[in-house]
Amino acid sequence: MTGMSMRLRGRSWLVTLLALIVLVAVNAVLQPNLFTGTVLKSNLTVFLPLVLVAIGQTYVVLAGDIDLSVGAVIALVNVVTVTVIAAIGNGVGAVLLGLLAGMLTGMACGLFNGFLVAVMRFQPIVTTFATGIIFSGLALRVLPTAGLPVPAPYWRTYAGSLLGLPVTLWIFLTALLLVALLSWRPFLTHLAAVGGSRTGAFQTGLPVARIRIQGYVLAGLFSAFASLCLTGETASGDPLMGRMLALSSISAVVLGGTALAGGSGSAFGSVLGALVLGMIGNVIFFAGLPFEYQTLVQGLITLAALAGGVLVAGRQRW
Amino acid sequence: MPPALRAQGITKRFDAVVALSDGALTVERGEIHALLGANGCGKSTLCKIIAGTVLRDGGSVQVDGVPLEPKRPADAEAAGIALFYQELSLVPQLTVAENIFLGHEPRTRAGFVDRRKLEDDAGRLLGPFQAVAGSGLDLHTPVARLAPDQRQIVEILKVLARRPRLIIFDEATAALDRRQVEFFFRMLRELKAQGIAMIFISHRLDEVFEICDRITVMRNGATVATYPAAETDVNRVVHAMVGAMAEHLHPPQVERPANEQPRLVVDRARGRRLRDVSLTLRPGEILGLGGLQGQGQSALLRGLFGADPLDSGRVNLDGAPLRLRKPADAVRHGIAYVSGDRGRDAALHGRSIFENIAAASFIRERRVLVWPGRLAERFRQAAAALNTKYAGLEAPIGSLSGGNQQKIFIARWLATRPAVLLLDDPTKGIDLAAKADFFDLVQRLAAEGASILFYSSEDAELLGLCNRILVFNGGAIAAELSGGTMTALHLTRAAYGDAA
Ligand SMILES: Nc1ncnc2c1ncn2[C@@H]1O[C@H](COP(=O)(O)OP(=O)(O)O)[C@@H](O)[C@H]1O
Ligand SMILES: [Mg+2]
Repeated sequence: MTGMSMRLRGRSWLVTLLALIVLVAVNAVLQPNLFTGTVLKSNLTVFLPLVLVAIGQTYVVLAGDIDLSVGAVIALVNVVTVTVIAAIGNGVGAVLLGLLAGMLTGMACGLFNGFLVAVMRFQPIVTTFATGIIFSGLALRVLPTAGLPVPAPYWRTYAGSLLGLPVTLWIFLTALLLVALLSWRPFLTHLAAVGGSRTGAFQTGLPVARIRIQGYVLAGLFSAFASLCLTGETASGDPLMGRMLALSSISAVVLGGTALAGGSGSAFGSVLGALVLGMIGNVIFFAGLPFEYQTLVQGLITLAALAGGVLVAGRQRW
Repeated sequence: MPPALRAQGITKRFDAVVALSDGALTVERGEIHALLGANGCGKSTLCKIIAGTVLRDGGSVQVDGVPLEPKRPADAEAAGIALFYQELSLVPQLTVAENIFLGHEPRTRAGFVDRRKLEDDAGRLLGPFQAVAGSGLDLHTPVARLAPDQRQIVEILKVLARRPRLIIFDEATAALDRRQVEFFFRMLRELKAQGIAMIFISHRLDEVFEICDRITVMRNGATVATYPAAETDVNRVVHAMVGAMAEHLHPPQVERPANEQPRLVVDRARGRRLRDVSLTLRPGEILGLGGLQGQGQSALLRGLFGADPLDSGRVNLDGAPLRLRKPADAVRHGIAYVSGDRGRDAALHGRSIFENIAAASFIRERRVLVWPGRLAERFRQAAAALNTKYAGLEAPIGSLSGGNQQKIFIARWLATRPAVLLLDDPTKGIDLAAKADFFDLVQRLAAEGASILFYSSEDAELLGLCNRILVFNGGAIAAELSGGTMTALHLTRAAYGDAA
């Protein structure tokens, strides 16, 4: 967590944690075998992509920006990865190169966004909405229709186990470790400073544009991680992959107690937020409610979290 | 040995506003050097140029004889310069300790923030101040929760943490009380003994003569004189600040019946930054609020508008008591508010000019549904009265220049036909032509019977426009100027307190 700055108003993640516990309890009642290995593993597989995108989105939002293009980045990373693998061959080496290409693609997308927003000073919402369309267009150009299966070593590893634990769990834990490492770096305080007071950060001598760009690059990188996980699950290319994830990631960030205006929050909160959103889907499914309710309830909960944030912020006038 | 700082012939303009025409300042090692001048004369701009926050248009700066061309604040910092920002450079969400070391966090060998050292170091800096800092100034407290004087202390510590060799204190004592100031001065003397050069801007002339070695005076963007403090006195300095400025021409006084009921009466208003402010405002009067920045003028205006409600005190409008808990209360009673911080307070971003003008009318007239055609004619008249150039009422607000945006916000209130107009430093950063139109309009409104409370951070504007001026100091009214006493000299003296 961002250490000391976490202790201030970022308490709303406690509410989210409570909500998560309640949801897990309800889910356990509706689905008695919830705590068996297979069910937990399949749940994690479903939640992992959103968890990863939400982590990345946090770094952008903390700096007072937003990234609506993460969904399109996921699609672009997916098609680049499968295309590179198919072009090189089907060995393990090809898969590794494909993963690398995917990550570089994600970071390049983030760099592009960050450049437009922080250097050209375009408005973040409109800019990333537009770049999202560009990335989607590029994805369709690279792979016009779904297809192009990935070789077995890729999806088998993703679905498999390592040292007795599912690979997805290892990925989840690694992501948490990355979040922790990042949160101990001065960089995270600087991100929050840029989001909290851009003028103050500039006057203090922080390289404001560079910090904002780094936030976007991180968002691109974590979107790439999410995409590579989704690819392991679907085992093929899909230029329309990840469409819903941009808005869900923002919901998760808000639920996790990060202020949309920037300046305070944490990626751990966003992980909780992503898990809550996932669990809502589970509960609605097992309660036998129609699937459409899932988006409705997620929307209402996000609104409630936003309202809570406004109430908290309203009392703290600067 | 070359001086610690030598700045010469500094020029800077913001669009049409010339902030500096000939700024100059020389500070020796181990010297505390006062920089004085009336509001808006360019002191802060000169300091920001030295600190690399603002890029100069011309002139030269040397630090210890080495030319300095800062492109960004970090460049000046590398040359050993630190600036206490008048408006503070703190991040509200971060804690006191994080703010003090922002950008200079001590690191462990792995490159992580060394929290233990961060807090130890911050604690060591803060420790001596604790005795005078009041309660609640804790290393872990977010700055947003601190009182104004505590924030200033944090900004001071932040400056010191950088271990600079040239420190600029731009109104660093504005919110401090006497005990805090004494403590601060003891600290300055220690720094001076270490050979550190300091520039000290303050509105309290007694402080200046107490602590400073030399005094440089600026007027209208230019440096006019430098004196050794021991060889001059308050009177000389104040005269240099004001200059042989032509005594100003009073605006024509509108004849009003003597027994006319006052429009607005404020009785012992109190708030966070207000101490027992009482005033009477007549119909058609333009009443100026003068004094140094942040002495309660904005707090009063925002209080009367219900934006930051007053803690206590009575407000009567046309003889009837008012309760002002939120801006809508004020708007419904015909009280209008225009702030110079357009972006923050006024604009409906991304909306059309029409919507921006209409916003206030809706509240005043308790409208729920609107018929744009009918309102448009009224707004067109209001905007035309302002000489505003715009492509059409449907154009977005962002398409206008700053000055024209400001006029649109005035038009917003013209359309409501306000009884009282509160102007909170309304001309901040707008160009000269727009300013002239704006003042024209204010005078026209007054002639039509509107009562106007006008706070400006530029003395010349107050002297040129107001019938009377109330000079604020420390949240209270320190003096009232009218008729023959409405001169730059009296205004500056009253603003700088009894010492002058
Ligand atoms: N960023 C800015 N944009 C436009 N005008 C500015 C800006 N900063 C300062 N000014 C103008 O420059 C002049 C000098 O301001 P300042 O240096 O703050 O004066 P002082 O600190 O002596 O009160 C004023 O007329 C002010 O309105
Ligand atoms: Mg100033």
